[in-house]
Amino acid sequence: MLLMPSLTTRLTQALASGIHQIGQIRILQNPLRLHHIDDADDLDSLEVHTDPDDAREIGLYSPDGTYRFTKGELSLKRGWIFELQTMDELRRTIDLFYPASLGLWKAQEDGTIQIQNLREKLGRQTGMYRHANTVSDSGAQELVKSLCGPSNKCVKKILWHLDSDLPLDDSEASRFNGIVGQATQETAIPMVCQEACNFFVAQARKKSKEEFDAREL
Amino acid sequence: MPFSPKPHAALLIVGHGSTENPDSSTPYFDHAKKIRERGVFSEVHCCFWKEEPSMREALYMIDAEEVYIVPDFISEGYFTQDVIPREFELDGPTTKRHGKTLHYCGPVGIHPSMTSLILQRTSEVAPEVPPEETTLFIVGHGTGLNKNSTKAIKDQVELIRSLPENKFASVQDTYMEEPPFIADWSTLADTPNVIVVPFFIADGLHSYQDIPVMLGFEKEEGLAASQKDVFRNNPYHLNNKTLYYSAAIGTDPMMANVILDQISTFDATHAIAHH
Repeated sequence: MLLMPSLTTRLTQALASGIHQIGQIRILQNPLRLHHIDDADDLDSLEVHTDPDDAREIGLYSPDGTYRFTKGELSLKRGWIFELQTMDELRRTIDLFYPASLGLWKAQEDGTIQIQNLREKLGRQTGMYRHANTVSDSGAQELVKSLCGPSNKCVKKILWHLDSDLPLDDSEASRFNGIVGQATQETAIPMVCQEACNFFVAQARKKSKEEFDAREL
Repeated sequence: MPFSPKPHAALLIVGHGSTENPDSSTPYFDHAKKIRERGVFSEVHCCFWKEEPSMREALYMIDAEEVYIVPDFISEGYFTQDVIPREFELDGPTTKRHGKTLHYCGPVGIHPSMTSLILQRTSEVAPEVPPEETTLFIVGHGTGLNKNSTKAIKDQVELIRSLPENKFASVQDTYMEEPPFIADWSTLADTPNVIVVPFFIADGLHSYQDIPVMLGFEKEEGLAASQKDVFRNNPYHLNNKTLYYSAAIGTDPMMANVILDQISTFDATHAIAHH
């Protein structure tokens, strides 16, 4: 089997080529540091962290105290800076802020990412979510517009379609490239969404029930 | 149980997670950290049903070719038998998928080493209490939907009763929603002392509030100012008995060992050679 370069190696190469952002996080080198992109002007006033595990705690709540159960939310708290020793620590810190984001980015670049369209994703649900796939196409398209994309606080680029022959309607959510703010593809690692998240599935279930109830009235 | 290090393999702990209670996933990260610090795997990660990374995303964050998947669940049931195999596209105990070899271990809650963990927890919660004058209640959710969740608790009760070192006057399984009800604890126990251990993976509304209300030392309205205070105020004097209340068994730091024990058991059962 061909030995693939590790994720840490790929991250190191990306930083050497000028990448310095992922999501709402800015990555500085020499020394290795991470901070919120909106805190760039006043690094000295930030609370210093050296343990990657602190990232989970920081990412738990938005500034207004809301629990961030989807980590791609555009609501990362400010006021912290990580001072890290190794690229492995950097990778682990990013994985706690934005779980699996680096791996998904690498898989997309390598062409190994498994993208699952929404119908397939909903169709394989069982238990209380088994009826989620009865949501109408228009209902599903509405959900994408109301749940995904930066205006709904998700900073991931959607890679999936509704179905193999049915792309997502044009919208801010479907157009978003997974890069926040002024950064570009040359300077930021895009955050990607390879299949609808389980929160989306739960909302699809609700929507399909609403549609069913509306038909019954 | 001794553990053979697996420096070429990754450990992936699977939890339920929650869109409402961030505390519910804290134990998984605590166990992962503990195992990571032991240096027995090349990587240790967590993934979830209701949080991120999802099971579908988790393998992308792993470099290792060999991955041990351990469900941090209390019993066999819908999640361990249906959802997790479906999400990882598993076809047996070991599955080769997307260039990786995935070993699917049993849920932590059914491992026999949970027994010693429960006993250790009782001695921490109520160190001065003579077991001969004490009833130990293990409390689960209980529901008509999944007989396996009650089976895991009944099995633990039987195991504890059969141990020669067990000195408790009585060990009983109880439930929130089916008989024998934990709410009836004071009539179920003949002893002056009672220890209650919730058989849950994480602390949440059940252990912070629902069970304390059923035991009678919390009121139904609202949550305690600090939810974890319910575990700090032992003992409780109620119904002429002295009651000691433990946090959910799944939050015990020693659960990290149970996770490793499940992996050793998997290897022994499926004759996986150690690296």
